[in-house]
Amino acid sequence: MEKQKWNLEPDSRREFLANLVSGAATATVLMVVGPGASADHGVGGHSKKHRDLVYVINVNNCIGCGNCVRACKRENSVPSEYFRTWVERYVITKKGIYVDSPKGAIEGFKKINAAIRSESQLARTIPKMCNHCDNSPCIQVCPVGATYRTDDGFVLVDHEHCVGCAYCVQACPYGARFINPEKKKADKCTWCYHRVKAGKLPACVTVCPNKARMFGNLHDPDSEVAKVFKEDRWMTLRPEMHTHPYCFYVGLPREVR
Amino acid sequence: MPNPSPRSHLYRLGGLLVIGLIGFLAVKALATPSSWNHEDWYRGDSPKEIAALPLSYGGNESCQGCHKKTHDQVEAFGHKGLSCESCHGAVVDHAGDGKKIADAKVDMESNWQCMNCHEDQITKPKFFPTFKPTKTHEDVDADMLCSTCHEAHNPGL
Amino acid sequence: MELPHDALVNYIFPNNAHVVWSLMIVIYPFITGLIAGAFVVSALSHVMKIKAFDSIANFALIAAFSFGCFAGMPLLVHLGQPQRALEIYFTPHLTSPMSLFGYVYGSYMVLLTIEIWLIYRPHFIRMANQTTGLAGLIWKTLTLGVTTYHPDSAKVDHKMIGILAGLGIPWAFLLHGYVGFVFGSVKAISWWATALQPIIFLSSAVVSGMAMLLVMYSVIKRLRREPIDCGMLRTFATILWAAFILDLGLEVLELIHAHFQQSHEWSDIQPLLMGPLFESYAFGQMGVLSIGPILLLGVVAVLEVRDRTVVVLSNIGAFLLIFQVLVMRFNVVIGGQLISKSGRGFVEFHWEFFGKEGMLTAMVILTAPFVVYYIISRFIPIFEDPAARPEAPAPADGAVEPAPVRQATP
Repeated sequence: MEKQKWNLEPDSRREFLANLVSGAATATVLMVVGPGASADHGVGGHSKKHRDLVYVINVNNCIGCGNCVRACKRENSVPSEYFRTWVERYVITKKGIYVDSPKGAIEGFKKINAAIRSESQLARTIPKMCNHCDNSPCIQVCPVGATYRTDDGFVLVDHEHCVGCAYCVQACPYGARFINPEKKKADKCTWCYHRVKAGKLPACVTVCPNKARMFGNLHDPDSEVAKVFKEDRWMTLRPEMHTHPYCFYVGLPREVR
Repeated sequence: MPNPSPRSHLYRLGGLLVIGLIGFLAVKALATPSSWNHEDWYRGDSPKEIAALPLSYGGNESCQGCHKKTHDQVEAFGHKGLSCESCHGAVVDHAGDGKKIADAKVDMESNWQCMNCHEDQITKPKFFPTFKPTKTHEDVDADMLCSTCHEAHNPGL
Repeated sequence: MELPHDALVNYIFPNNAHVVWSLMIVIYPFITGLIAGAFVVSALSHVMKIKAFDSIANFALIAAFSFGCFAGMPLLVHLGQPQRALEIYFTPHLTSPMSLFGYVYGSYMVLLTIEIWLIYRPHFIRMANQTTGLAGLIWKTLTLGVTTYHPDSAKVDHKMIGILAGLGIPWAFLLHGYVGFVFGSVKAISWWATALQPIIFLSSAVVSGMAMLLVMYSVIKRLRREPIDCGMLRTFATILWAAFILDLGLEVLELIHAHFQQSHEWSDIQPLLMGPLFESYAFGQMGVLSIGPILLLGVVAVLEVRDRTVVVLSNIGAFLLIFQVLVMRFNVVIGGQLISKSGRGFVEFHWEFFGKEGMLTAMVILTAPFVVYYIISRFIPIFEDPAARPEAPAPADGAVEPAPVRQATP
C-alpha cells in the first residue's frame, strides 16, 4: 500500500512544473483554438483522480493455457491476427533469453524444444495486456481526444471519434494497442469495461483456471488484489517508462519487458 | 472605380479573414460533440456506449440455473473454483433467453482440452498437477483418452 | 543478425507484426520539410535582404505553396478514418504534439497565400483589367474588387510582405519542428526519443527545401532556354553546403551521443543500425548521400570553378541531398518501428507498390506539387517582377488613374 502513494497523490512540485509547461504550451495556441482547449489535465494523461480498481497478474500461477486469450477474442470480437491480451513464454538461459508467443498463445503453448529446455534456468508464461496506466502515453498523444480515462480509471478508446492515426500505437511501450484492421480504428483491452459495469469480472479473469489473473478493489481489505499490496512483492512492466501501470505483476522475472 | 486608400485591399482581406474565422468558429462549435467533456477532453457519451456492449461470458452464476447439480459436483472436487466457461465456452453460444441454443460440449475425441492445462511443461507452476508418465500413468498408451479414467467434473480417480 | 537484449530468437509483440506508419508518414515530413526549406530561401531575400536571392524569392514562395497544397495529403491517405480528419480542428487535444498540425498547417497556408497574393496583386489587377468574361471575373475576384493599383500601395504591400515573411520563418519552423517533436517525444521508441529530433528535422528540412529549389531552378531555366544565374547559383550552393554540414553535424551528434552514453537506448539502436537499417543508414544516409554532396558542393563553394562546372556540380550535389533527406526520413520513421516494443526482435518492413499507402501513392503525391507549380506558372509570372510592369511600361491601363482622385480628396 505504501508503494501506491505516488500514484494516488502526485508530488506537488512535479505537478506544478507539469502544469507550467502544459500551461505555456496551451496559452500559445489558446487564442486560435478557443477556450475549450484549456482543459485542466496536465501534461499527458496523468490522472489526479482517486483510483480503486487494479488488475493483478500472478505469474507464479499462470499455466499458459491461453483460456484468457480465447475468451478475450470471443468477448470483444478481436480480429484474428491481433490481441487485446496475449501470453508470452520466457525461458531464461545462460546463453540468452528465449521468448515466444505463438499466435498470442490463443492455443496455449506446445512443448518447447529440447535444446532450449535443457538450458533453461527459469521459465514462465507471462500474460500481457493494456496496463491502464495512470500516466498514459496513449492518452497524451491522441490528437483528437479519442482515447481517455474514465473517472474510475479505465483507459478507453472512443470508436466514434478515433481518426485512426495510430499515434497511440507508437506511444504505447507495451505493444498493447493496434489498429483494428476491420474497423480501421485504434483498439485495445478495456478491462472489459462493459462487463465490470454490469457487475461481472473481465472475461480473461472469469476463465482463468489458476487465479493467475485477478481484478478488484485495491481499497477493499477483503479483496484478493488488496492482499498483494500487503507485501512488497509486486512489480509493473517497464517502470523506467514512468507510465504508472495499474496492472501489477507478482513473480515477474526481471528480464520481462 | 475610385480607390481612396492604398490599404483598401488589406481592409477587404481583413474582412474576409474575420468572416472566415467567425465561420470556422461556428462550424467548430457545431461539430464538437454535445456531450464533450471539456475537463478531461473526451466525448462524454463514449463510456456509456462502451458499457452498453453485449456480454458473452456470464460467469458460473449464469450456469447454475440449469446445471446446479453439475456445478455443485465440480465445487466439491479437484476442479473447484474453475469457471464452466473455461472449457465449455461462452454462455451466449450455448443459451439465450433461458433456452438452449447449441451444445456446449467439450471435445472428448482428443486430449486437447485436458492437456491444454495439464501438459508437463517447464513453464508450469511447481505445484500444478501435470501429466507425467510415471507410476499411475505407466501403462497409458499414447492414444488413450484421459476421459477413459478421469471424469472432468470430478477429475480425481 | 544480432538481436537486441540477449534475445535467442527474433521475438516481436503479437500486435507489432506490421509497420503502422509506413511510406505516407515518410513522405509527409519530407514534403513539410520542402515547404519550410523553400520558404527560408524566400525569406533570405525578403527578410535577410540577401540580394542574390531576389530573383528567386517569388519562385521559392510559389514552390513552397505548391508543396504546401499536398502536405496534408499523405496524412489523409494514412488515416483509418479520413472523413474524421477535421476533428483535429474541432477537438484538438493539446497534450499531443500532433494536435497542432491542423492549426499550424492551416494558418501557415493562410499566411503563405496572403504573402503570395500581395506580391502578385499588381498582376491580378492588370489581368482583371485586360480580360473579360469568366476569366475576367476570376481575376477580379482575386483582386478582391480593388482593380486599380494605388501608387502608395506598393510601399504598404512591401512592408506587409516583409512582416509576413518575417512571421513566416518561425511559423515554417514551427510547422516542421513540430513534426520532429511528434517523433522526438515518443519515449517508447528509442530511435526517435531525442530532444535533438526537432532540430535535426528542421535543419534537414532547410537542406531538402533548398536543394529542391536549386534543382528546380536549373531545370526550369533549362526548359525555358533562359540563362542560369551562375553567381546566384554559387551563393546558393555555398549556403546549401553550409546548411548541410550543420545538418549532418547534428545527425552525427545524435548518434555519437547515444553511443557514448551506452544507455538502454543504445542497446536498441546499435543492433538496428548494424542490422536491418545498415544499408539505408550507414551506406545511404551517412555514406554516399552525405559524403558526395559535401565534396561536390564543397568544390563549388571553396574552389574557383567555371560556371558550367558550378551548374553541374551543384545540381548533382543538390539532387543527392534531396535523396539524403528522403532516406533520412525513411530511416527515422520506418527504422524506429523496426525495433519491436518487445525489445527482443525486429519487425519486417514490406515494400508495397499498389497498396493504399504504397509506393505508387507516394509517387503520385510527390509528383502532384510539380503539376500544381506548372499550372500556377501558366497564369502568373514566376521569374519576372510582378510589381514592375503595371506602374512603368503600361500607364495606359488605368494604373495611375487613382492618383488624381487621391489628390482631389483632401
